[in-house]
Amino acid sequence: MAPEIQVMVRTTQAWLQSSQHVQVPFAWLEACMEWLQEEAGGAARLSQQQINRQVLDQWLLTDLRDLDHPVLPEGLAQAQKTELNGVFCVQVDSLLDVSQPAYGQLQKWRGTDCANDDVSAVTQYTQRPWEARPTRMLVLQVTDGVQSLEAMEYQPIPALTPALRPGAKLQLQGQIVCRLGMLLLGPSNIKILGGEVEDLVDRNSQGRVLCRTLGLPEEQQQEEEEAPPAPQQGN
Amino acid sequence: AAQSGRCPDTPQETEMIRSRGQIKKVLCVAEKNDAAKGISEIMSGGRARRREGMSKFNKIYEYEYHLFGQNVTVTMTSVSGHLLGLEFKAPFQKWHSCNPVLLFDAEVEKYCPDNMTQIKRTLEKEVRQCQALVVWTDCDREGENIGFEIIDVCKAVKPNLQVFRAKFSEITPNSIRRACETLMEPDANISDAVDVRQELDLRIGASFTRFQTLRLQKIFPESLANQLISYGSCQFPTLGFVVERFKAIQAFIPETFYKIKVLHEVEEDTVEFSWKRNRLFSHTACLVLYQICMEDPIATVTSVTSKPKSKWRPLPLDTVELEKLASRKLKISAKETMKIAEKLYTQGFISYPRTETNIFPANLSLGPLVEQQTQSPAWGTFAQRVLDQPGGPNPRQGKNSDQAHPPIHPTKYTGTLQGNEGRVYEFIVRHFLACVSQDALGQETVVDIDIAQEKFSTSGLMIIARNYLDVYPYDKWNTKLIPVYEQDSQFQPSAIEMVDGQTSPPQLLTEADLISLMEKHGIGTDATHAEHIETIKSRMYVGLTADQRFLPGELGMGLVEGYNSMGYEMSKPNLRAELEADLKLVSEGRKDKRNVLQHHIQKYKTVFIESVRKAKKLDEALSPYLGAAQEIAEEQEHDI
Ligand SMILES: [Mg+2]
Repeated sequence: MAPEIQVMVRTTQAWLQSSQHVQVPFAWLEACMEWLQEEAGGAARLSQQQINRQVLDQWLLTDLRDLDHPVLPEGLAQAQKTELNGVFCVQVDSLLDVSQPAYGQLQKWRGTDCANDDVSAVTQYTQRPWEARPTRMLVLQVTDGVQSLEAMEYQPIPALTPALRPGAKLQLQGQIVCRLGMLLLGPSNIKILGGEVEDLVDRNSQGRVLCRTLGLPEEQQQEEEEAPPAPQQGN
Repeated sequence: AAQSGRCPDTPQETEMIRSRGQIKKVLCVAEKNDAAKGISEIMSGGRARRREGMSKFNKIYEYEYHLFGQNVTVTMTSVSGHLLGLEFKAPFQKWHSCNPVLLFDAEVEKYCPDNMTQIKRTLEKEVRQCQALVVWTDCDREGENIGFEIIDVCKAVKPNLQVFRAKFSEITPNSIRRACETLMEPDANISDAVDVRQELDLRIGASFTRFQTLRLQKIFPESLANQLISYGSCQFPTLGFVVERFKAIQAFIPETFYKIKVLHEVEEDTVEFSWKRNRLFSHTACLVLYQICMEDPIATVTSVTSKPKSKWRPLPLDTVELEKLASRKLKISAKETMKIAEKLYTQGFISYPRTETNIFPANLSLGPLVEQQTQSPAWGTFAQRVLDQPGGPNPRQGKNSDQAHPPIHPTKYTGTLQGNEGRVYEFIVRHFLACVSQDALGQETVVDIDIAQEKFSTSGLMIIARNYLDVYPYDKWNTKLIPVYEQDSQFQPSAIEMVDGQTSPPQLLTEADLISLMEKHGIGTDATHAEHIETIKSRMYVGLTADQRFLPGELGMGLVEGYNSMGYEMSKPNLRAELEADLKLVSEGRKDKRNVLQHHIQKYKTVFIESVRKAKKLDEALSPYLGAAQEIAEEQEHDI
């Protein structure tokens, strides 16, 4: 490899690390950059800045398992109780709201939830203020590509939504308690970097995750993922 | 065609007024004998002469009365509900007479059933002596239509008869006198809506019933050989709700959840604090939070708030609420409740029980109604309290009015009713008194605590004034005492536990639930809910569990599944709900009777033709329940 390419790779690697806290192995980065330059039609066609941007975009769409490059402290998932400190970029494989039954979520997702199921003749029901609606708690399956663990929405995180694309990348930051292989997240602990992983988008769609949780056969749903069935009133 | 010239136009009205001088004798006709009796007792001051008519159940009462500004002789008699029925003309009446699809267009006619002919003859005979007819049928849609049946019969004998309509909501002196002073014209629009409904019910019911009965008897001769498998555009959606709920229960998947419970023993009592997160469907997530609490198990009181809380007195009673509450609180079915209520009404104990109104009209004086109830040994003292409360009776008001009848209320005190009649009357009185009294008042205290950043809370209730609850045992509201907690204080809970539980499916429908669903989807009217429910029970489409909940039977399940699999919403409420909405427009004069009729005939005919084409789906859906389907030959299939 030409030394100037090697320099560019090291420059990009340093940029990813310092400005994005993204760590990637040298070999992957080198292959990625060669491919980008080929696509662009020649080695000199892209500026360093363009290269940086495009590499980051590639990383966002890569399954971190393919990089085989651990960043989380070893044994984190096995620890009874520990604390994570620093900045780490991880991938969200899937997520699920554990504050509500999966069955109701699946019905809503399929558009088969039926308002009639809730009808009962009790005319005057008042929800007591202290029985406030439980707040959402998303549980995320996260991985750095080598080590997988769970992360819970310990405090509400408005930036997270159940519509987050499977395979999206997150930046974990600050002090994060980790117990029984579960990270406890608050709004200041995460930054959503975006991206997705093509395979996971299908395999871990909300519908499939819910089916798996309930022990139901998973449905084929390439198209449904794009356009969930129009909600039909089950009445 | 028999109904032309019903609606007097202006020239006739002028004629009507000019010829009033000639009215000497007036025929009055009520909807039932009881009502005729009650009304004549009031009008005659108890001096009516009673004689026999040609029907032994419908007596004739005669008396003098001041009407149209002069003294007239009144002949009061009654019908027994509808005087006429609607039927296909003779060639189409027999089950095998024609392909059922023809029933959408076959000619129909009104006829007088055998058991009504004596009543009809009484009317024909009596009206000959009279110059005017006053219709005293119930003031609802059916009553208006029965009124026109009476008018048609009478006018056929006496074409120049003058016709009036008495409007009243209760059989009490005031109400009857007011009706006499403000006689009106009968409302043809309201009656038209009933004609449309009758004709649609006949055509849709007969075509589908013949089709499915004839076919299924052949296909499942062993189970259905002699069974009538009726179809009605109300009964099927009603059945559909029962099946839908049953299937929701079957499909339900229970899930385990976990929660953290905090107990605090203070002297003898244990206070339970519930978790703000309520419950989590992840064992690990809950365990993590539980461990955090257990490492620092000190509770800090973060807030203590105390605020007034009231429990609202009930709204004025309408028919649907009466049916639902009687079913839930008295365990009397909707059908039975309405039968009793009708009887109480014709005896003058309560106002007209078919009403959608839950607002007391301003001109209805509540004081005297409450006053009457002070005689009761059971609730008399409470009635007196209502009279003595500042401002007197003060009804909580709802939002609906049918502009015809006030909410259901007692019109007369009685202490002599027995059994369920007594219970329904008592309920109506207590509900009325509750509704015009005052909300129950309490003070609620909410205590929030924090244990290692997890939040829990509990609440206590002090009842300050029971008010309406004193007369209304059907509502419960209990004091819940909790110890005094100081804000910012800390305590050590006696126990912090992680407990689990399972989600459970919805329950089978109660009758009250079913009525709620019918009302929500506009199936039937408040006047007919109970009948449709009774029909699906009597057809064995549904049964009742030991705790009085509806369970679909095999035939009911199969029929609903069959029609659903055809892709038509036959057991869904949409088609029927549209029909009901159109009927309402007809009754308000906002849609044309013929257009509505044609539109819905066409719609159901299309569905019918499709259903016949896809009839095999019905067999397929039923065979898991009824055994293998008999093959029937192609040519035979064309017959049915
Ligand atoms: Mg009636």
